[in-house]
Amino acid sequence: MAMRHLITGQGNCAPDGASSSNPFGNLANAIFGQSSKAQSIKELPGSAVNVPTTSELGTAAPLSTIPGSENEFKQDQLPLARGADFIRGGPSHDWVESFRPPGLPEFAVPDAQLKEFEQIFNSTGPTFGPPVMDGPPQRVLSGVLRSFLASGQAGVPFQPVPVPALGLSESDKQCIRDRSCIMARHILADQPEEYIQAQVNTLLHSLDIDSNYRMKGPMHGPYPEMEEYWNQSQSAMRSGPMHNAADKWITEFGKQNNNPEEWAHSFEQQYGSNGWASEFEQHQSQMAMTGGMNMANLAAMEQSRMLAQTLASNNDPKFQVCRIPLNIEHSMEENSKFFQFVSKMSRGELIIEDNQVKQGSASQSSGWADEFQTQYNANANSWADQFVHEEMSQGADKWASEFSTEYNQGGLNENWIDEFSKMRVDDEWAEEFSGGTFGESSADPWVDEFQNQLSASKQNSGASRGVYVFSDMNPYVGHPNPMQEGQELFRKGLLSEAVLALEAEVLKNPDNAEGWRLLGVTHAENDDDQQAIAAMMRAQEADPTNLEVLLALGVSHTNELEQGEALRYLHRWLQNHPKYGGIAPPQPTDSPYGPDVIRLFNEAAQMSPEDADVHIVLGVLYNLSREYDKAIAAFKTALQLKPQDYSLWNKLGATQANSIQSADAILAYQQALDLKPNYVRAWANMGISYANQGLYEDSIRYYVRAVAMNPKADNAWQYLRISLSNASRADMIAACDSRNLDVLQKEFPL
Amino acid sequence: MPAFKAPAPGFSVRFSPFHEQRLLAAASQHFGLVGNGHLLVLDLSAAAAPGGAPAPPPVFAFPTSDALFDCAWSESHESLCAAASGDGSVRLFDVALPPAQNPVRLLREHAREVHGLDWNPVRRDAFLSASWDDTLKLWSPDRPASVRTFRGHEYCVYAAAWSARHPDVFASASGDRTARVWDVREPAPTLVIPAHDHEVLSLDWDKYDPSILATGSVDKSIRVWDVRAPRAPLAQLAGHGYAVKRVKFSPHRQGMLMSCSYDMTVCMWDYRKEDALLARYGHHTEFVAGIDMSVLVEGLLASTGWDEMIYVWPFGSDPRAM
Repeated sequence: MAMRHLITGQGNCAPDGASSSNPFGNLANAIFGQSSKAQSIKELPGSAVNVPTTSELGTAAPLSTIPGSENEFKQDQLPLARGADFIRGGPSHDWVESFRPPGLPEFAVPDAQLKEFEQIFNSTGPTFGPPVMDGPPQRVLSGVLRSFLASGQAGVPFQPVPVPALGLSESDKQCIRDRSCIMARHILADQPEEYIQAQVNTLLHSLDIDSNYRMKGPMHGPYPEMEEYWNQSQSAMRSGPMHNAADKWITEFGKQNNNPEEWAHSFEQQYGSNGWASEFEQHQSQMAMTGGMNMANLAAMEQSRMLAQTLASNNDPKFQVCRIPLNIEHSMEENSKFFQFVSKMSRGELIIEDNQVKQGSASQSSGWADEFQTQYNANANSWADQFVHEEMSQGADKWASEFSTEYNQGGLNENWIDEFSKMRVDDEWAEEFSGGTFGESSADPWVDEFQNQLSASKQNSGASRGVYVFSDMNPYVGHPNPMQEGQELFRKGLLSEAVLALEAEVLKNPDNAEGWRLLGVTHAENDDDQQAIAAMMRAQEADPTNLEVLLALGVSHTNELEQGEALRYLHRWLQNHPKYGGIAPPQPTDSPYGPDVIRLFNEAAQMSPEDADVHIVLGVLYNLSREYDKAIAAFKTALQLKPQDYSLWNKLGATQANSIQSADAILAYQQALDLKPNYVRAWANMGISYANQGLYEDSIRYYVRAVAMNPKADNAWQYLRISLSNASRADMIAACDSRNLDVLQKEFPL
Repeated sequence: MPAFKAPAPGFSVRFSPFHEQRLLAAASQHFGLVGNGHLLVLDLSAAAAPGGAPAPPPVFAFPTSDALFDCAWSESHESLCAAASGDGSVRLFDVALPPAQNPVRLLREHAREVHGLDWNPVRRDAFLSASWDDTLKLWSPDRPASVRTFRGHEYCVYAAAWSARHPDVFASASGDRTARVWDVREPAPTLVIPAHDHEVLSLDWDKYDPSILATGSVDKSIRVWDVRAPRAPLAQLAGHGYAVKRVKFSPHRQGMLMSCSYDMTVCMWDYRKEDALLARYGHHTEFVAGIDMSVLVEGLLASTGWDEMIYVWPFGSDPRAM
């Protein structure tokens, strides 16, 4: 064996070029020279990777090792007819096995690693991408993005376009946010950064994307670079005058605090990974769920959600990390590693490592949120006092009190801490917190940052999802039989009224699964899948095995592009079905595998081909995997069994629309409307299909009908506005904006 | 000459190094901001002339779950190619296999969008991926994991280009406004060129002079560098009105390069001439995102853009000519 290999440890599978950065390797390179590497290949007797080359088999290509791999094996060149077999050669130790003479079946040798790969291939790829069902057309999105890009090119400010809730998943939103930031800088290089920021934010806003949104999923992974960034940023920030309040504060802070990293760590630690907002929300919802259901708890839940929403919608530009200019010449921020750091944070690249947090802050890191909860209940010491106290005991040098003294003109006076704790006592604290004291002081960077953190953690937690939001001022509270009233209203198609009546019912009888279910159905027909899911989840809580509820949850999650959730509920539907329970393994699966679930349902369909529900689920599943032809076939089969199911006709129509068969879709919607003339969703979908075909005048008539039937159908209003502008009917946009139904109905009779 | 309609805005186009009639293209819905990607293989002999009958469907079409920003043919296997995906994965496809058996390999290591790919034309058994996670990775098609990761850039890496001469040398272009030259045997970049005052989006090596490198930037310029004297550019090519998205040296004529830009044009240059601009093509109606020059047919050019069109034409002719 070559001396060089003894030193560098070659011949092992060194991952990721580890050995090339090995100082011994470098030394060896220096001593033995680079050229020794190629020769040494043949000097590795008995090495598993030192197998005969197959270059004589197929095309002779110049073969040699991949430099940097320190792993001497060669790419097998198989005859071209073998297709991609060669690529499945697997890692080097499997190389010999994976080489088979032509004709042998593939995967004759069991290989765990290969199987794993197979699975990866199968589970990704085209089959399970983001589907859209009943959702708005992709064209809406495309149109908005196009006008965004065009506006940039022409140097015209991008006009905010109200766009309906597009059913973008959280990860889609993240993609749009990140990519539009990066791409906009390429496209709009001439424009000042503020202009670019404004354009991107207008886009994000019109797509209903929170520009504060940072990253999804939990923070994880060690990033020691952070310390370095902090050190650099601290020195950079002390070095010169800063030009906005944020910088001023940072400088101030930097001067006062001898140990900035520690503060940063503890701050991130507390708000980033374990945000109190989510804790608080979870706590609230737990209270509401587990404890006796009463109005006070519901109100608190709603308030906590409002608070979170208000915090999340903070639009103060200063700390929106995606807009931090990185590429503008001579700007202060550009030289600051701090801003780069923040930007990287926003891209999820820099994450705080728990272990790096120093002892003092580590001990208090998780305690803070708990502290807050305890105080919320017991109303003992104010958390802020506690926090300040702890910071001071760390030697953080009274920054908090200094800070508040310094900035008390900004609406943040010394008493804010007390006020805050007082506010928490009365029920209006959420509004005051968001609208009042903090709203005025939002010029204050600390608060902004804090709020940003809150919204980030809120979105990380996902705790706000699935919390049902009740309407204010419900006239049906106290109604003798709100359930019956709700069913009646639902039948009449007065969906918004039905919602109120049903809310009154479930407030009265929180365990009424049917009440929650119908409430969910009503929301779904009213185009609000979030609320539908929240209501259905309550229904499922009350009756965990209700098949209708499980099916509805599956469909609603499909509409919201939440594939995993959708699969879970549909799988559970099968498990709980008296007839098909035997097919599905009874143990709960957290993440059922799409093709598996489809297979199970196909089995069920074979067992009882006359069960329309099974075909409906199959249709939904094929929508998820975007096999629209199969989905259409499944829905058509179901319709033969259940021709009177108007929602099924709507599903068929939506599927056809998604597979770009808008003309067929219109026929299906027409069937749905014949069966249920007051089916708002089908009217709106009809409009969408016409708009998709470029028939804007027609689409307007259907939208107008939809909003006339349910004036609260916000999505339909927004579609209407888009169609009006596409049809060059700017004259009617004012009527649309003021929601003047009389004018619109007169102008666009159906 | 041939023109194709892509199913979505085009991002990349590459001539096959094996078949002169084959073209690989990557397209992405919604300008790559969100949505699906499409990998296409087109047969040029079957293409329709613009304005004539509609072009026939691609020989191979594969939709992917996230946007595709770049693609590259294998230099060792005629039907193998790689696609760079917005979800951080690199996917290998064997276009001789039916779509159901593709992708033949899914390489999921980058933490962010993969924006650039380049297959090593000398060694042929390795390729590079450049990602918005600030790293580049070296891959071999027969390995399930990357061979090496190259760290050093401080912002998104948009492109990588292997030297046409040295099998172990490549260069990378990054939003940190530098171009870096790497030797895969070395842990750190051999050379860091502060190439532009704005983000560097693309770069390529001269195929005839192994020390010449061209970079294209958001600052609208193309700069040509001699890596032996990287203090100042050899030449600066001005003419694009917006960011330069890609630059590509001719495989046949020394000093000749092709570029495309957000100004919706494709330009041909000879950096050694005083009037460097040789030709300007305004055939696209949206940003031009992908260009290539055929190795097998001298002077054959291809471009794709966000107008969802893919054009192939010989240098000197009008891309839209019948």
